[in-house]
Amino acid sequence: MGSAQLEVLLQTLISGLLLGGLYALIGLGMTLIMGVMKIINLAHGELMMVGMYIAFWMFTLFGVDPYLSVFIAGPVLFFLGIAIQKFLVNPVLKVDSILPENQVILTVGIGMVLSSAATIAFKSDYRSTPVSYGTSAFYLSDIWKGSPIELSLSIPWSVSFVFALAITGALWFFLQKTDMGKSIRATSQDLDAALLMGVNVQRMRVVTFGLGSGLVGAAGCLFIPIYYLYPALGGQFTLIAFVITILGGLGSNVGAILGGLILGLFESLTATYVGMGWAPVGRFLIFIAALLFLPGGVASLLRRRTFGK
Amino acid sequence: MRCPTLVLRAAFAVSICGASLLQGADPLNLSIPLPLTGGQAKFGEMMKRSYEMATDEINAKGGVKGRKVILAFEDSQAKADSARAIVEKLIDVKKQPIIIGEYTSACAKAVAAVANERKTPYLIVASADDAITQQNYKYVFRQNVPNAYYAQGLVSFFKDVVKPQSIAILFESSDFGTSGAADMEKHAQRMGMKVVLKEKYEKGAVDFKPILSKVKQAAPDVIFMVSYVMDASLLMKQLKELRVDAKLFAGGAAGFALPEFVDNAKDAAEYVVTATLWTPQVKYKGAKEYADKYKAKFGDFPSYHGASAYSAMYVVQDVLTRAKSLSQEDITAAMKKTDLQTAYGHIKFEDRDGYQNQCFSETFVLQVQKGEHQTVWPATYANQKYLFPIPKWRDRK
Repeated sequence: MGSAQLEVLLQTLISGLLLGGLYALIGLGMTLIMGVMKIINLAHGELMMVGMYIAFWMFTLFGVDPYLSVFIAGPVLFFLGIAIQKFLVNPVLKVDSILPENQVILTVGIGMVLSSAATIAFKSDYRSTPVSYGTSAFYLSDIWKGSPIELSLSIPWSVSFVFALAITGALWFFLQKTDMGKSIRATSQDLDAALLMGVNVQRMRVVTFGLGSGLVGAAGCLFIPIYYLYPALGGQFTLIAFVITILGGLGSNVGAILGGLILGLFESLTATYVGMGWAPVGRFLIFIAALLFLPGGVASLLRRRTFGK
Repeated sequence: MRCPTLVLRAAFAVSICGASLLQGADPLNLSIPLPLTGGQAKFGEMMKRSYEMATDEINAKGGVKGRKVILAFEDSQAKADSARAIVEKLIDVKKQPIIIGEYTSACAKAVAAVANERKTPYLIVASADDAITQQNYKYVFRQNVPNAYYAQGLVSFFKDVVKPQSIAILFESSDFGTSGAADMEKHAQRMGMKVVLKEKYEKGAVDFKPILSKVKQAAPDVIFMVSYVMDASLLMKQLKELRVDAKLFAGGAAGFALPEFVDNAKDAAEYVVTATLWTPQVKYKGAKEYADKYKAKFGDFPSYHGASAYSAMYVVQDVLTRAKSLSQEDITAAMKKTDLQTAYGHIKFEDRDGYQNQCFSETFVLQVQKGEHQTVWPATYANQKYLFPIPKWRDRK
């Protein structure tokens, strides 16, 4: 492998990893809700869009850096998620309907309402937050003068990635170490047992939906410095989150993180070595392959390993 | 022979049942399908404003044969299905005798098929796919040049100034992107340029860096991109991030020609050239007035999309005035004989080079200089001298 090929490969892997970290955060929110509620939240991408609009307006009106908006959009989306669960999903859960999983259909509706409301309120203009560091990057040749290859590491992409890691870490701590986190995991593992053990399942559902929404709202803030925004953007990210959730193994948080990274790397490698037009095809191939050959997702592999010991 | 005309007239009169206005005559209602929401809304919005500007001017001068023109817009969301449904409704239910509008090539293709089947004249203002006017459609007219001609100005700029040996082509996987890329490849072969890379991407991609690092490795003289506006900005931003250098970064009209491209790509947009079908500096009568009026009203100069839409209303006025009646056949006949000077240039529909009812006009090259699009080619129309060679990314501050 010549140095030129090596450069392309390394640059591709860097891009894939950075993208995968962000994907993981998007997938994590959906996975969390999936675990506890046993439904796919198909308004996930639209919730991200709401988070992005918050970051956009904070930046445009008050000059707040999109990364600081994580601490605004996250909580706002948390409460929005709570409200959605409390006033929309919970009442529907109680209703007998001819359709199974009618809450899933409800989330589709919520997504449509959100994106149409955004179109009415903000028009369908493309928006972006042109931050001053938007195209800054670290270059290998600046640090190591004699480097035979040139690699670049985009500053906003890296900052977004680090934020995604930090948020994921915080979530892990919350789920592992706090009482409420443990209750959420209990609800996710076995609803009836959790109920019998005195866990307030109803409350856990509400909190989980809030948490999932907050996560994706934060992800929106991390995306806007490197991407752009328009009201109809949600669908594309719902799809990505869905693929990651399936790939990760429906409800496994570690699985979702790995799933996000795998998807990011896979898309980048496809773009470089097969063709960028194939990236969406690749996404569906992974989706179908996961369903066929790895129905339990990445999580099932991890579990098998631990049981084997 | 009188009967069908009478029936049509009656139908038309019923369909417009609006209150008689100042002129005393019935107003003329026209609905225009456009993308007003969704990814292409920016273009739709500019065209809507331009249609309205022209209509206000026409109405102020007495309308069409003394009838006030009332415009309505239907949002097709840049989806071919919606565009088709809207136009079916306009023709079948509202009995509108002429269709104008739409933006993306995919939508215009769908509309063209419907209009031609129902023998209703359709005037295309900004959809570029070559195939649309190559299908022997008798009722479909196109005011903008087809994609194969988009880059003519750009290609002459290549020949006379840049003299590139190799080119990389990146394009969006839409009808417009695909045909634009294929046409550029043909141009390149004719000029003896080597196409080192030709890659498509899906609109809305987040990360172009994998493909751009491949471009970097191929080291072409020219990087040519066919994209809508936000992809165009992301591409330039990521080219800058990766420090992919080339003699020239060139865009194939559409996204690269909009002011929003510069707003979003910021300093990464500097020195980028793009093909365009019209600029505010063209010497067509009325062009400058339109551009200035638009800028005064909306803050930015319009791109060719707006100019074409604006002029299309004048073409409609001219055609409906000359048509013997408002029947589809008479309008089509009048359309065929159009010979009109507009702000968009000389409009005349010709059958040549495999195209039917196609208007041919000159194309131009814009370059972003200090954050503004400037006309730099052909030299006779230039308002600024082109900047070439362009500095490497590393040397830009």
